[in-house]
Amino acid sequence: MAEEKSKVIDNRPGWIASINPWVLRVVNNPERVAFVLHRVTGILMALIIMAHIFVTGTPAHTGWEAWVEEINKAQGFSLVTLYFFFFAGIAWFHGLNGIRLLLVEFFGVCIGKPEKPKPPYIAPSLKACQRKLLYLVFLLWPILWAITGYIVFFK
Amino acid sequence: MVKKGTVQAIVQYITAILLIFLLTWHLVIRVPWLRGVETFKDTLSPNLVYHEINAYGVLLLVFAYAALLHGFNGLRGILLEWTSGKYKNLITIVIVILIVVFGALATYTVIGTPNPNP
Amino acid sequence: MTFDPQAATRTPPKKVIFRIKRYDPEKDKTWWEEYEVETYRGMTVLDALLKIKEEIDHTIVMRYSCRMGVCGSCGMVINGMPRLACQTQISEVASEAKPVIELEPLKNYPVIKDLLTDFTKFFNKHRSVKPYLIRKNKEEVEKGDAEFLMTPEEHKELYEYTLCIACGLCYSACPVAASDERFLGPQALAYVWRYVSDPRDEAWKERLEAVDVEEGPWSCHYAASCSAVCPKMVDPGAAIQRLRSVLIKYKLGLFKKKTAKKAVIPKEQVKPKKPLPPESKLVEGVDIEALDKAPVEIPVEELIS
Repeated sequence: MAEEKSKVIDNRPGWIASINPWVLRVVNNPERVAFVLHRVTGILMALIIMAHIFVTGTPAHTGWEAWVEEINKAQGFSLVTLYFFFFAGIAWFHGLNGIRLLLVEFFGVCIGKPEKPKPPYIAPSLKACQRKLLYLVFLLWPILWAITGYIVFFK
Repeated sequence: MVKKGTVQAIVQYITAILLIFLLTWHLVIRVPWLRGVETFKDTLSPNLVYHEINAYGVLLLVFAYAALLHGFNGLRGILLEWTSGKYKNLITIVIVILIVVFGALATYTVIGTPNPNP
Repeated sequence: MTFDPQAATRTPPKKVIFRIKRYDPEKDKTWWEEYEVETYRGMTVLDALLKIKEEIDHTIVMRYSCRMGVCGSCGMVINGMPRLACQTQISEVASEAKPVIELEPLKNYPVIKDLLTDFTKFFNKHRSVKPYLIRKNKEEVEKGDAEFLMTPEEHKELYEYTLCIACGLCYSACPVAASDERFLGPQALAYVWRYVSDPRDEAWKERLEAVDVEEGPWSCHYAASCSAVCPKMVDPGAAIQRLRSVLIKYKLGLFKKKTAKKAVIPKEQVKPKKPLPPESKLVEGVDIEALDKAPVEIPVEELIS
C-alpha cells in the first residue's frame, strides 16, 4: 500500500519579517524595531551608494558643466535636496544604531551579566546599557535628521 | 584555517568602525558654516568639491571601498538569508562584480576629476 | 518574558472568545474558528484549550504535557507573541475591553495540524551542537563515578543558560529563522555558549570551529526577540553575542579558555558496600551479586504487544 505523504504548512513568514517588526507582537522588544530599521536603511544605503558613486563621478565623466547644472537645483525643496535629506536621514540611523550593534556584537559589551531569574523575569540583556543606547539612538536620530533638513532646505 | 564566517564578520565590523568616522566626516563637510560658505549649495561648488577630491582623495577612496565592502557584504548576507542560501554562488558573483565595478568608478572619480580652474 | 504579577492575578473577563487558527492536513485547508469559554480566576490558556477540547470541539489538536512550564511542549502564538499556554494566565492576555484571545501555531515551524508544530528540524539543530559535556578522557563521563568541580562564580556565569527547556519559543520569535532555514537558531547557539563557557567542558575549540559558519552566530543581528519571549529568562540573544565576540577573539588568537579542572572522585563513593543482615532471606532463584553487575531488563515492548 502506498503511504500517503502527510501535508504540513511552512509557517515561516519569510523576508517580510525583515521589514515588518509586527509580524509578531513581542512585548518589551524595541530591539526588533531597530533590527528592521537597520536592515531597511542598510538595503536602501547599499542601493543609494551605487547612485551616489555614479552621480559624484559626473565631473570626471562629463565635465563640471553637468555638475553645476545639477547643483543649481540644490536649494529649497527639489529632487536633489530631497535626495540629500533622505540619504542623510537613513545614514544617521544606520550609523548611530551601528555603533550600538558594534558594541554588542563585535565587542560583546553592554549586554549585562548572566543572573539568576527573579521577578519580573526580564532577560539581563534587555535591561543592560544597550537598551539605554537604543533609546539614545531613537532620540538623536530625529534631532540630527531635523538639523540636516534645516541645512539642506533652508540654508 | 580561518573559515569564511569569521572573515566576513571581521570585514563587516572593521569597515563599520571605519565608516562611523568617515561617514560622519562626509556628512559634516556639507555643513556650510564649517566650510566658511553661506549655503548648503555652496558646499557643492566645483572649487570646494575639487579641493576635497584633491586633498582627501585617498580618504575618499578608503571611504568608498569601505562603504562598498560593508554595504554589499551586508546585502549579500541578507539575500542569502532570504533565499536560505539556495543561490549562494550566483549572489556572491553578482556582489563581487558590483564591488569591482563601483570601486573602479569611485577610483576613476578620484583620479579623473579635472580642475575646474585650469 | 516579562512577568506582571498584577495582570496575572486579577480576575479575567467572565467569558472570553478564543479565535484559533486551524489547519486540516487532509483537506489542506486553513481557517479561523471561534469558541466562547467561561473563565475563572487562575485559568491559563492551556486550561481553556483543554476545556474547549473536552466540552466544545474534540477535534482541536495541540501538544502539552506537564501543565506547569517545565516540559516546554505547549508553545504557541498567543495574541501575536510566542508563549507557553500553560504559563499564560487568561487575565494577562484578555481584558474586559477586549475579551478575545487569538491562538496560532508557532511561527518558523511546519504546522502538522491546528496548533501542533513539527520540531524535528529544531531538535536536529539542537543535537548538531552536541549539547552535553565533552571531556578529553571519555571514561570520566562514561564511568560516572567522578565529579567535575566548579566555583560558585563559574556556576553563576552559566546557570542562566542551563535553564533552557527547549520549548522553541526563541526560534519562533527569531526574524532571521523566519526566512533562513539554515540558521542554527537562538536555542542551539545558546547551548554552544553554555558549554563554551562551562569550565568543565574540554571541547570548546571544536565547538567554536563548528559554529564558525555563515548559518552560525554570524546570521544573528540582535533583534533580541528570543530573549524577550524566553519563559525561563535564558537570554539567548546575549549568549549569541558573547559567543560571537569570543569567536572573533579566538580567531585573532586572543582567546584562551582556562584549563578544565581534573575530575574528582567523591569521598562517599569510596565507602564499601554494606553487607545484607544475616537474618535477611532472598527470594529463591535471585542472585544478588549477578543483579549488581547487570540490572534486570524489563521487556517493555514485549509486554505492551
